Amino acid sequence: MGATFVVVLREGFEAALLLGIVYAYLTQIGHPESRRYVTLGGALAVVASIAMGIAVSVLSGPLADVGPDVIALVVIFGAVALLSWHGWWMGRHSRELRGDLQRRVDAAHASHQLWMVGLIAFTGVFREGAETVLFLWGLMAQLEDLSGWTALAGGAAGLVTAAALGWLVFQGGRRLSVQRFFGITSLVILFLAAGLFSAGIGRLQGIGLLPGGDPLWDTSWLLDDHRSVGGFLAGLVGYRARPSGLEITGYVLYLAAASFLFLPGLYRRALRRDRGVEEPDKLILTK
Amino acid sequence: MQRLVRSGALLAALLTLGVAAATPAIAADKPTEIPVTIENNRFKPDEIRVKAGQPFVLVITNKDAKPEEFESKDLRIEKVIPGGKTASIRVRALKPGTYPFFGEYNPKTAQGRIVAE
Repeated sequence: MGATFVVVLREGFEAALLLGIVYAYLTQIGHPESRRYVTLGGALAVVASIAMGIAVSVLSGPLADVGPDVIALVVIFGAVALLSWHGWWMGRHSRELRGDLQRRVDAAHASHQLWMVGLIAFTGVFREGAETVLFLWGLMAQLEDLSGWTALAGGAAGLVTAAALGWLVFQGGRRLSVQRFFGITSLVILFLAAGLFSAGIGRLQGIGLLPGGDPLWDTSWLLDDHRSVGGFLAGLVGYRARPSGLEITGYVLYLAAASFLFLPGLYRRALRRDRGVEEPDKLILTK
Repeated sequence: MQRLVRSGALLAALLTLGVAAATPAIAADKPTEIPVTIENNRFKPDEIRVKAGQPFVLVITNKDAKPEEFESKDLRIEKVIPGGKTASIRVRALKPGTYPFFGEYNPKTAQGRIVAE
């Protein structure tokens, strides 16, 4: 039971985290009605996952061999693009969104395409969705004895726990101040996207479309990227015990470029400190 | 809402294009095929010897009734093989060394390694 619990929780954790963040985000900017895009995106992803699970089971030949890899790559890099766009938007508009709720609604309305948040939900759920569907399906196929039932119960418990974690992120996130919420989620999305980006590079190396692939170092003696803490760090920040040179390069370059986009305040503040100028709050309010 | 539908259609079109474009590119030449079976949640053989420096293809037949996921952290491969199905996995040219793999759905029993020499 424990093993199936861990497998499903690990697959579902990232999706739950993303859903929790975007639900809370839409609440924070005063657009709770747009949460339907997220619900729709998530639901479509579940349908797509089941469809893909069926396709993988029914089809065979080169399409079945290569198709899942290509889809996985499109989803990974699509998610990176969407998360980058979202982080960039939050970074640019976090100051406008500081005021009262009405100001936030207006600011978000003016420049944000909220339906794209639904696409983030789609990629988040679909990324590990088909695998999870196939895994649970496999569990249901062996229900002839007690161990089959406990395994299925473990898988179901993993799914429920992942959902509960997502719900906690949502509840916690909507209670934070806008500034703090934007600050924290910008960081989470920054590292999540960097991890996804380097995972995409690794997959490209795995199928031979990018050169290299041999690990540059090995920290699996310290923290295995497939068990407990290391496994969750792998999902959250893209931790790899044996990363390749290109994966590390991609990770670092993404972090550098994206932190510039996501956290312009950081650079502005540093710049101000250099000049020794204090920016009055009034300026922000009258802007 | 309409926008969402439109972007969903765009995404689907991109996916189809991507699959169509990559299929011939990846499936073009046929390197050595190495048969592997999965039975009773185990890989057979569980040690696969290959020539270093040459890409190869693992042809994995899952004889169990349920799916298994062939996974190798070192090779950057994750591939679900449904029960009763066969899947081909291309593996890049490897430097001499040992590369462990496992079955994600049965990691306790489904363990193996590729030895490149």
